[in-house]
Amino acid sequence: MLKYILKRLGQSLLTILLVVSVVFVLMRLMPSENFFTDDELLKFTDKQKFEKLERMGMMKVCPTCGGTGLVEGLTCKQCGDQAAIAQQGDGAYQKPGTGYVNRSMLLQLAEFYGDMLQMRVYNTSKNTEVKSINPVSIVPYLQAKLAGEDPFGGKLKDTYDVRLKFNLGKSLRIEKNQYVTKVIANRIGISMSVGLVSLAISLVLGVVMGVLQARYKDGPFDHVGTGYTVFVNAVPHLVIYTLIMVLGNQLFGLPMRYDDTKGNVYLTMVLPIICLSIGSTAGYMLWTRRYMVDELNKDYIRLAKLKGLSERKVLFRHVLKNAFVPLAQYLPYSILLTVGGSLLVEKFFAVPGMGFLLPQAIGRYDLPLVQGIVLLYAAMGILGVFLGDLLMTFIDPRIKLTGKGDVR
Amino acid sequence: MKKLLSIVLALVMVLSVASVASAEELTNLNTYETQARELETWNVHYSQAAADLNILCNLIDGLLTNDNHGNLKPNAAKEYYTNDGGKTWTFVLNEGMTWFDKDGEYMADVKASDWATGLEWVLNFYKNDSYNVSMPGEMIAGARDYYEYTKGLDVEEAKALDTDGKFAEMVGIAVDDEAGTITYTLVDQLPYFPSVATYNCLYPLSAEMIEEMGVDGYRSVTWEDMWYSGPYTITYFVNQNQKVFTKSPNYWNDANCKRFETVTVKMVESAAVAVQLYKGGELDHVSLPQDELQAIYSNPEDPNYANLVEARPTKYSYQMHLVYNKNLADGATPDDNWNTAVANENFRKSLYYGLDLTNYLARTNAINPQSCQNYVYTGNGVAFYSDGTDYTSKVLEAIGLEYNAETYTRTNAELAAQYKAAAIEELTAKGVTFPVQIDYYISGASTTAAQTAKVLEDIFSVCLGDEYVKLVTNTYVSSLASEVRNPRKASFFINGWGADFADPINFLGQETYNDTEAYYANYYSNCNDATDPDLIAAYQEFTDLVVAAKAITDDIDARYDAFVKAEACFLGHALVIPCSYEVSWELTKINNYSKVYSMYGMQAYRYVDWETSTVPFTTEEMAAFAAAYAAE
Repeated sequence: MLKYILKRLGQSLLTILLVVSVVFVLMRLMPSENFFTDDELLKFTDKQKFEKLERMGMMKVCPTCGGTGLVEGLTCKQCGDQAAIAQQGDGAYQKPGTGYVNRSMLLQLAEFYGDMLQMRVYNTSKNTEVKSINPVSIVPYLQAKLAGEDPFGGKLKDTYDVRLKFNLGKSLRIEKNQYVTKVIANRIGISMSVGLVSLAISLVLGVVMGVLQARYKDGPFDHVGTGYTVFVNAVPHLVIYTLIMVLGNQLFGLPMRYDDTKGNVYLTMVLPIICLSIGSTAGYMLWTRRYMVDELNKDYIRLAKLKGLSERKVLFRHVLKNAFVPLAQYLPYSILLTVGGSLLVEKFFAVPGMGFLLPQAIGRYDLPLVQGIVLLYAAMGILGVFLGDLLMTFIDPRIKLTGKGDVR
Repeated sequence: MKKLLSIVLALVMVLSVASVASAEELTNLNTYETQARELETWNVHYSQAAADLNILCNLIDGLLTNDNHGNLKPNAAKEYYTNDGGKTWTFVLNEGMTWFDKDGEYMADVKASDWATGLEWVLNFYKNDSYNVSMPGEMIAGARDYYEYTKGLDVEEAKALDTDGKFAEMVGIAVDDEAGTITYTLVDQLPYFPSVATYNCLYPLSAEMIEEMGVDGYRSVTWEDMWYSGPYTITYFVNQNQKVFTKSPNYWNDANCKRFETVTVKMVESAAVAVQLYKGGELDHVSLPQDELQAIYSNPEDPNYANLVEARPTKYSYQMHLVYNKNLADGATPDDNWNTAVANENFRKSLYYGLDLTNYLARTNAINPQSCQNYVYTGNGVAFYSDGTDYTSKVLEAIGLEYNAETYTRTNAELAAQYKAAAIEELTAKGVTFPVQIDYYISGASTTAAQTAKVLEDIFSVCLGDEYVKLVTNTYVSSLASEVRNPRKASFFINGWGADFADPINFLGQETYNDTEAYYANYYSNCNDATDPDLIAAYQEFTDLVVAAKAITDDIDARYDAFVKAEACFLGHALVIPCSYEVSWELTKINNYSKVYSMYGMQAYRYVDWETSTVPFTTEEMAAFAAAYAAE
């Protein structure tokens, strides 16, 4: 098991690295017009656009010499060429491939990882940050510490601690100059609370309904359940949300949007939670019924019935336990992915969560934020699958993750 | 059941009549923005985006603001004057203004030197990343040089700069904290400079605040730690959800202005959701999307039917910018057929007089399409003669047109036919083949744009004839600039321009020939690359007139007369085809004619001196407000 865990963790790290690097490169291949708002595009002079990109670290390559010398104003520091840049006008920073896929981009990628893994030296005696150092220059500090010396020239009585800074940079557009970690942290809690409640509701309702459907297969309840599943999957979600919003408000007086300035914030979360639960309940119903029906047709169930076990015991002790295994595999994944929120529901009910953040950040070319969110989602996705595997082996000990033969 | 229903209906009617009778003003305003227009920064200097400035203009007072007619109005400055025809301008501050935090706690006095600190911040490359530098850079003596100077410094060195030393030495601003005066020395006599004083490039910044939070602190300032000096503070903000403005308790101008207790700006997913919120009583106004407007308008029984009111035009003047150096779809081969045709004045005039854009305008305003008419280039309400006459009315006079509520008056079929015949004759001789293909580009993802393009195709076909021109709608994927504008694939663009300051040069200066600062000439029309001598001569004639008008700085009426001549020349040669204004319909409890109405700058969203009602205004009531406003 330990071998499996280590192997999966190693693979996970590699995957995350790959995903983040690919996204990093892809974002820089897109036209740079979207780095600016419509107003900025109208009002910024060409020079201003160059200079803003330069300040953002996005304008590091001279189109003439391809050198990595910064473009100073409209003149390349390296080759001194002015005409070529001026001639290209807007296109100079908009042609994919001419500016970004080169050594400079790899350097930027390295900078990104360097910043992320920066260490923060903390003076624990004074509760203050002493300095930030990159992972390489931490070595002399450790050597000094091992030799019993004070590496930062403070008083010997001071104690230091080294912490990972995990600096994902600052947002460029969504919340200008705010730390990406702060932007994400402000939203993650709301998405998770709405998501977890909805997950719990849909899991309980979906599994119970699925079991009942399987139990009374081809009966009226089964048909109603199937009808519900088909309806939810066939009707566009925005139509369902609009119906829920209007009916919920007009019939029950429920608030139409999330609002924590109102007395009872939980009341404003009711409609978003209902909307979120509707789809996933149908999903759990569908799969529970399907796995249950599969199990019910197996020989061991027939044998159990022949041996005189009651229907209820067969259903809950044997069928459900086995049918739940494939569902359980995705449970940790679903729980962890609640950090991502829901794009449609959050946008529709103005829930200030994570759901809308990634598309918004991509739309506005907020590169540090996109990278931060992608990193988070990739990590959560991989961790979810990993925990799902572990949970599956816990529920069904017959499943082995390592070894030869019948392993997953 | 029917009986019950009729009782309920009768009750509702009685209640609504009663509520109109006892209509009071709103004390708490609930308004909205769509989520795409969320604020990005709380740093008023670090933004050129309307979404930010619409909020921030309520939190910090600039030197001047606008009234509901668009006239300049004292704000932090109680008066302003020039003694040398507009080369230097002095602003005298009110007394007793203070900076306070979000809870209204006193932080410092507002001083004249705060305006110097603000200008230093704007002009410092490493503090403000070039935001807002263009206007002061062009207008204030030494400002551009100081900006270039800061660029040559190291980051930390530049961030350490203050208003002493190089800034004081180089930049044309003098402040006197004792007298409360700020004097700007400009590069030239600029009679319109006071209108720039409404804009955030000349907003104040407290040196004490910078001292407290540091340069990086102010760059990433939030509503919780910023200092306020305006009519409202922010007391609640959740990104993409809502923000609450609360009346500043110790606002210096409390006695002279009417404010709401709170203003709540709710972020909504779409206009359709906003309509639902309005109907649910959660908003005090809503701009109606076309389908909703049609539904209400077509049903006199609809409860909102009597409350349909037409909004006032937004500040953008939309033009059809013709492209004079266009390429074919490959983005490289010149489209000689179009380039030759569009360079011909008769061809352009056949479009100018031939196109009846009524159906196109109806895409914005289905009920009164003619409310969106626009026959001039400069926006309405931007510049006024000394007697209060709007500059654009003189342009209309000069080109012999006037707005009409019923018909699209620019269309003249007879004249269009004459120009068309002449164009066909001249262009055929030059080898142009008919129909001339006109390429128009829209976003492939927008169904609304596709429907509008279809309307335009029909207009071109019906008004000009399929044998003469053929409008072809093409699509781009994500970027109009990189996919269409830079490779010069379109025959024309329809774009709106809003002014930053009150002078026609802000519009006409974007079109002048061989001028690197002329935005539309360089990036849209590509007139500088045109080769047709007649076209170049027309552009040169227009440019000379603009230059001559710009040089008149001592007599505002003479200056505007000269600009009228230039604009009439520009339109007379049909170098651009004025297109539309945005005028939508709404349901509202706000008297639109009481709001700040500024067609330039950033003051239009100040929630000050608004007249409101707790019940929605009716169509008749709003018409009465409009009539009274026109008579003022």
